[in-house]
Amino acid sequence: MERSDVRSLYLLGAFLACAYALPFLVGAWAGTVRADAAWLGILTTVVVSGVMQGGVYAMFAVGLTLIFGVMRIINAAHGEMVMMGAYLTWVSFFYLGVDPLLSLALTLPVAFLFGVAVQKLLLNAAVGAPELTGLLITFGLGLTMIYTVELIFTTDFRTIPYAPGTIQLTSTIAVGRNRMISFAMAVVISLAVYLFLKLTRLGKAVRATALNAEVAMVCGINVRRIYLITTGLAAALAVAGGALVSIQFGFNPETGVVYTLQAFAIVILGGRGNYVGALVGGLMLGVLENLVSLMIPNGTAMVELAAYGLMIFVLLIRPGGLMGVKEG
Amino acid sequence: MTTSRTLAGALGVLLLAGGAPAWANHRPNNEALVGGAISQTGRYAEPAGRQVNSIKLWVDEVNARGGLLGHRVRLILLDDKSDTQSAIKLYEKLITEDKVDLVLGPYSSGITEAVANVTERYKMPFVAYGASSSPIWEKGRRYIFNIVAVAEDYQKGAVHLAKQIGVKKAAVIGEDSLFPRQSGKGAKDWAKQLGIDIVVEENYPQKQTDFTALLQKIKAAGAEAVFSNSYFADAAAQLRQMREQNMNFKLYSSTVGPGLPNFPEQLGSTAEYVLGFSQWEPLPKILKHPGMDEYIAAYEKRFNEKPNYHAGSTYGALQATEAAVKKAGAFDNEKLREAMATIDVQTVFGRYKVNATGMNAAEGLTFQILKGQRRVVWPEKWAEAKPELPMPEWSKR
Repeated sequence: MERSDVRSLYLLGAFLACAYALPFLVGAWAGTVRADAAWLGILTTVVVSGVMQGGVYAMFAVGLTLIFGVMRIINAAHGEMVMMGAYLTWVSFFYLGVDPLLSLALTLPVAFLFGVAVQKLLLNAAVGAPELTGLLITFGLGLTMIYTVELIFTTDFRTIPYAPGTIQLTSTIAVGRNRMISFAMAVVISLAVYLFLKLTRLGKAVRATALNAEVAMVCGINVRRIYLITTGLAAALAVAGGALVSIQFGFNPETGVVYTLQAFAIVILGGRGNYVGALVGGLMLGVLENLVSLMIPNGTAMVELAAYGLMIFVLLIRPGGLMGVKEG
Repeated sequence: MTTSRTLAGALGVLLLAGGAPAWANHRPNNEALVGGAISQTGRYAEPAGRQVNSIKLWVDEVNARGGLLGHRVRLILLDDKSDTQSAIKLYEKLITEDKVDLVLGPYSSGITEAVANVTERYKMPFVAYGASSSPIWEKGRRYIFNIVAVAEDYQKGAVHLAKQIGVKKAAVIGEDSLFPRQSGKGAKDWAKQLGIDIVVEENYPQKQTDFTALLQKIKAAGAEAVFSNSYFADAAAQLRQMREQNMNFKLYSSTVGPGLPNFPEQLGSTAEYVLGFSQWEPLPKILKHPGMDEYIAAYEKRFNEKPNYHAGSTYGALQATEAAVKKAGAFDNEKLREAMATIDVQTVFGRYKVNATGMNAAEGLTFQILKGQRRVVWPEKWAEAKPELPMPEWSKR
């Protein structure tokens, strides 16, 4: 590690300590922070909930960063794929009566094929082209998906009343059952994809292509096929994320945009194309947002300010993101 | 040559004068043109579509009665695609090119306010059935009249019910945009009047999905009731997360979400006991407004569903408009404005009688979701059921 690198890591650590201490300081000043057991219970509940939220966010982000890492394409339709996942789960729950988790066995292959089709028909044209080309193509794809879903399902909001109960961890800390399930699923799926990338031959080929497509090709890797698998995998991750969204929140055809932005912020924070970075970034954002909302007066209105503020400062200190490598 | 030019000029002046709406009977077939742009596609398509239903029903009924002032009504209905800029352009076109005799309002407070600037310039009066934000009437406009209850009163019933069950501390939260802020302000004012302490007041960004921290903050501040100025997604998330954390409040009310037909259906038992607001309900036996039975029957026959409040308020506004046209006796904008400002009529939606700023005094209804059905619980004179408050704890549901 270079010396400047080490220095930036120290700086980053100091900044993050300040960023996470700030809500406590403001809260202490405003009188919202107390030291009794009840309040500590509340704080723990909020941090746990932030971690769980962050885990699900991270799963969207991982899909986005995968496509970017391998093909240098920013997938602006990623949130719409999440939205599509939510609708697929909704349809299988209300019309086929399938449990939202079991329905993944049905929806993930569909999502993978959808991703493969998108790659074949649209994204292949954008690989190697200027980054704007891919952005425009996927933006158009996103709009098409929004209006198609709107035609079929109208703009009405939907949600799935799944596992509504609560899990009492201690006398003061409670977590929603659906949230616990979502988080567990997010961890399992993210881990599975991570292990696939790290350990399998195919996963290594994906990583090799991400490092340098030309060298990978020379080494005998079928890069076109890797592209297909990458987009298929990313679409499956998005759709799995959508299933987890559908059992926690309301959604309509236009909610995908929110998730694209969220995933985008996490990817930039974590380091573009970096898998572990996306996971860490997701958790960090989830926790910070909740701390700000809990302790700062009218803080919920400031969660976006806090999230994007964190992103900007991290980038100032480490332009490549948390786990990113220096470019050039 | 000079003469002919003068003549042409005179003719031009005559033609221009002839284009003024007061001269409706110059049209072939003795028609009166009634026009408006309303969101038939885009994000407002659902509520606005119900308004279109009522408009079509009214036009056919008026023509069956012999038209407006003896003129057969021809309807021009354009689509603003739920977009403010399109709405402005379409109203310019309706007034200057089509030269309509009467304008109909658009849907949503935002679009109505933008369109009001156009109608004001051309002095075309109308009753705004699709707008409930009172600032529209606080800018000295003279040609726009209100009929529905304003945003500030959406939580009025919920705050009164909270008072009845002895709530002393409450929270007011809401999405950070115009309409929820207005209804939040109203909730705060009503709470102040009734002596309820607002211990948390907070707005959240539109994209907010996780309310865990906000709810914990509310609980830590000791609030017993939550007045949430919210739509579907945020209200649904708040309720679910209360349940997830086994967090019990005596009362929870939301302004828009619970009124949507699919709210109880999509949320299941989590939606039970929630309070919501409705401008109007198709309940003739309870509301007892004249003509409700006939209107509801005609609407149901034609559209295969009961009219909701968007449909009801639109029909009521058109009845008031029809009465005003009759009183004015001509399609004369000034006379019609005068009539709309002064008449006192009973419509299916309730009484229409505006004050000096053009505001009607509609009350609206507060309902509670009980066994998956919306039941009016406030005001008492219109209550269908006794409110079941405080809400039972989650563990007992």
